[in-house]
Amino acid sequence: MSTTVQRRRPRAALSTWLRGGGLSTLVFLLPMLVIFGVFSWYPIVQAGIMSFQKTNLVTAPEFVGWDNFARVLGDPNFLIAVQNTGYFALLALLFGYPLPLVAAVLMSEVRRGKGLFSALAYLPVVVPPVVAVLLWKFFYDGRPAGVFNTIIGWVGIPPQPWIQNAMQAMPSLVLEATWAAAGGTVIIYLAALTSVPPELYDAAEVDGASVWQKVWFVTLPQLRGVLLITLILQVIGTSQVFLEPFLFTGGGPANSTVTVLLLIYRYAFQNSLGGNYGAATALSVMLALFLALLSLVYFQLTKRWSS
Amino acid sequence: MSRRSRPREEDDRSIVSTSDWRRPRIRRTFGALHAALLVLLVVFGLGPILWLAKSAVTTTQDTLRDPMALFPSGIDWGNLAAAWNEVHIDVQFLNTIWVALGAWAVQLLVATTAGYALSILKPRYAGILNGLVLATLFVPVVVLLVPLYLVIIDPPFIHTSLINTFWAVWLPAGANAFNILLVKRFFDNLPREVFEAARTDGAGSFRLFWSVVLPMSRPILGVISVFAIIAAYKDYLWPLLVLRDPAVQPLSVRLPTLQRAIELDVYLAALAISTIIPIIFFLAFQRVFLRSAGLGGAVKG
Amino acid sequence: MKSRTTALAAGFTALGVLAALGACSAPAADDGITTISVVSLIPGSDDAAFDAFNEQVAQFEDANPDIKIEPQEYEWTGPTFAAQLAGGTLPDVYTIPFTDTKTLIENGQLADITAEVEKLDYADRFNPNVLAQAQGSDGQIHGLPTAAYGNGLQYNRAIFEAAGLDPDSPPTTWEEVRDAAKTISDTTGLTGYATMAASNTGGWQLAVATYARGGRLEVPDGDSVRVTADNDGTKDALEFLKALRWEDNSMGADFLLDWGTINQAFGAGQIGMYTSGSDIFTNLVQSQAMDPADYGLASLPLEGSDAGVLAGGTVASVNIKATEAEKAAAVRWIDFYYMQKLIDQDAAVLDAKTLAESDQPVGVPALPIFDEATLEESRQWISEYINVPQEQVSFFLDNIFDQPTIAEPVAHTQDLYAALDIVIQAVLTDPDADVDALLEQVNVDIQALIDADQ
Repeated sequence: MSTTVQRRRPRAALSTWLRGGGLSTLVFLLPMLVIFGVFSWYPIVQAGIMSFQKTNLVTAPEFVGWDNFARVLGDPNFLIAVQNTGYFALLALLFGYPLPLVAAVLMSEVRRGKGLFSALAYLPVVVPPVVAVLLWKFFYDGRPAGVFNTIIGWVGIPPQPWIQNAMQAMPSLVLEATWAAAGGTVIIYLAALTSVPPELYDAAEVDGASVWQKVWFVTLPQLRGVLLITLILQVIGTSQVFLEPFLFTGGGPANSTVTVLLLIYRYAFQNSLGGNYGAATALSVMLALFLALLSLVYFQLTKRWSS
Repeated sequence: MSRRSRPREEDDRSIVSTSDWRRPRIRRTFGALHAALLVLLVVFGLGPILWLAKSAVTTTQDTLRDPMALFPSGIDWGNLAAAWNEVHIDVQFLNTIWVALGAWAVQLLVATTAGYALSILKPRYAGILNGLVLATLFVPVVVLLVPLYLVIIDPPFIHTSLINTFWAVWLPAGANAFNILLVKRFFDNLPREVFEAARTDGAGSFRLFWSVVLPMSRPILGVISVFAIIAAYKDYLWPLLVLRDPAVQPLSVRLPTLQRAIELDVYLAALAISTIIPIIFFLAFQRVFLRSAGLGGAVKG
Repeated sequence: MKSRTTALAAGFTALGVLAALGACSAPAADDGITTISVVSLIPGSDDAAFDAFNEQVAQFEDANPDIKIEPQEYEWTGPTFAAQLAGGTLPDVYTIPFTDTKTLIENGQLADITAEVEKLDYADRFNPNVLAQAQGSDGQIHGLPTAAYGNGLQYNRAIFEAAGLDPDSPPTTWEEVRDAAKTISDTTGLTGYATMAASNTGGWQLAVATYARGGRLEVPDGDSVRVTADNDGTKDALEFLKALRWEDNSMGADFLLDWGTINQAFGAGQIGMYTSGSDIFTNLVQSQAMDPADYGLASLPLEGSDAGVLAGGTVASVNIKATEAEKAAAVRWIDFYYMQKLIDQDAAVLDAKTLAESDQPVGVPALPIFDEATLEESRQWISEYINVPQEQVSFFLDNIFDQPTIAEPVAHTQDLYAALDIVIQAVLTDPDADVDALLEQVNVDIQALIDADQ
């Protein structure tokens, strides 16, 4: 808005800049510059640097080249963590991606009391995640008198170990994670459903489409953009799961729920004698690069589909 | 945008048309499906929360022996008092509020000033800054964890550790690119004529911001506030790392360690107390919550 | 407009500066008074425990008017010791378990207090093995051992009675432990025997079980150390757990317990027996609200030659960033709060009295820091205040001085314990766990870490 002033007198740039409101603009940008600079941009750059260093916080850091990356890649827990994280993301997608869509489509047709449905669906999202995990941890008590074991006992299923068993632990975590997050996805889908132009439905009906056909041929294609974005966002989000493994099982039993984030935490903070910050940042950088690559490939692939 | 400002009532049709609804088969099928969905939502969505409410006032032995029964030994209101007074979760409760308020204020400050500068004042270098801010969206939070921790231990210029102070949570919370994105988009969509008029009236940047832009921003500020407050009380890992003293810990950090120190019934009461405020807020401000949640998805799309 | 803009800009900047200043804590500039921060108690300890501690702080400050004490709740678990150290939030005096002192000394993270310690008149009375835990390889002293303990078999007397077992004749062999566990779980449905399995405490207790069967996890190998996790003692211990878990089903349903959660379950009356340090009575009573009358402590069954009790302890250390004045003040506090009650009758009586008056445990079973005679003597002094039921722990005390004590494995102890955690969790949650393969893997992984240090 004020740039025309500067173009006329380039020599007197500073005073023109000041008079053109340049200082006040800077003042307005100051909070963002300071906050982002100190707490976002600088740490990001630092992360890159630290991944090539060895530091124990008391002595000066020293450069160790690719050592940290080698250490991480050579750690048997690394492969386990990657597998577990992939498993979690996959299960979470299976449970948490289609179900909210079905629910949202159904809910969008509710004629009275839609608010009640929305509120009920969103309620678990409102519960603080820590409370949700601690509550479900109690539900998963492996004793016969545990909450879930009591309930499945009503239909004759024997008590299950839930999080005490390497095979059941991860699905148990995913179940709680889905409970806590699905409501948000439902609301997003609901909002997107309202933006489908009604004329399309009218047109489809003229062609004699049934309800199911309308959903398949009108609704879903219209929702493509949201669906694609939600998919990649879910994958990115679940790849960074930390709270559930940390509070439910600490990574157990026998490392069956160690995820990449948990491994990073362990490298940096688990050893009370001083963490391996180099390995932690190296693994974070690797994860970040992987997710960036994934997103890039994903958007390339879906460019054709989403507009 | 304008479509969303209209309330979504019966005049907007969706998948099922009015003629569809007249057919009994459609009515019955959807009726059954909706009923089933409602039951599932109540059982799975509401069920665990109701159980928590019930168990918060049940004795430990009852909960351990017969968790699904209703008060075999009677209601134990003392749990709630014990959680509040003896275990002192009132301290952590207040901390949660402080953390949320501070984070909210910082985020609002950063997002509004930055959005205003980037969208309305638009200096020549706005593009670069925009790019830098957006770029941080693509960096997963985990990357920041360790270096940010080290920055908090030894901040530039100040060189006093911010550990165990609320600043350690407030300040990094402001580095939220999503907020800036939202605000900037909102400001981009504001009618420019209003600003032109104000400028010709002699308003400078500050007056424009304070008296013209901010009052028009209420909707987006509401959305940001909801996001900010929700994010603040959900936050676990970061406060765990930087707020090590129980006296400044928010509830989310305190509750897991509390489990080892107190009896089950008091513990469940503490969990229940931690849930009640967010739920009350939600029920009171449902529309804002749900609109923000939906908006979040729309913006991402 | 320009002046207004500038004024506002100046205003913002001033605010920023003020905020930055506000974030700095103003250093206390007291003349002649040295302020040091010291660890108090584990977070979650009850109010009475804090009262007793504050009472002792007051006593110290009265006797030393030039020192001011700032207590800080503290628990040695999990992350950020180094970060706390670097960030300056570590108190000036804090306690570390024996497990970690060597590593910290090697890393140069504990202050050298040899000069101040040698001024103490009991400096030469320390049990050399115990003092060694706080010494560097050059003999310099980096901390004062304040407590030493052995490991024993914890059992719940009330559960024993409910199961028809005699609480006054606890099991003395591992077979008897197994039988008792089975009886308990069969008759009462509670967990007969439990073990830690997480947060490195599982590995620690597996080390205890290994030593009790004559095995060793690490052996010296020239200048270095060789990991021998697949020794017979460890294998026997794991077979024992396997039998109790999968054949007798006497181990309950939670296999991810750590030091805190197993204490909690025990204090809540859900576990019949488990092994842990002989000093946990304090935690059970202060944090877990256990009824002292239910507590029983027996000695570990030792089987096999070379069997012994894994000994541990605590060292009080001084923050490496402390100034000379602060170091001197810190050692005086350590002397007052931790050491005096071990060697001086008046101090011992005062300490016992203060604790007893706030219903804190007095007379928790311990191992001698100096020698057995001194320990006996100090017990005599405070005998009237001892409120830990001595008959209930006599089964431990009567035997402990005859049982050889063995130090923990020295190399990469925490990493070793973490690896062993996985093995225990696998054995307890997977009936087909291959014990040999798992232990072999531990050997490989930890040996790699040790070799990398060379």
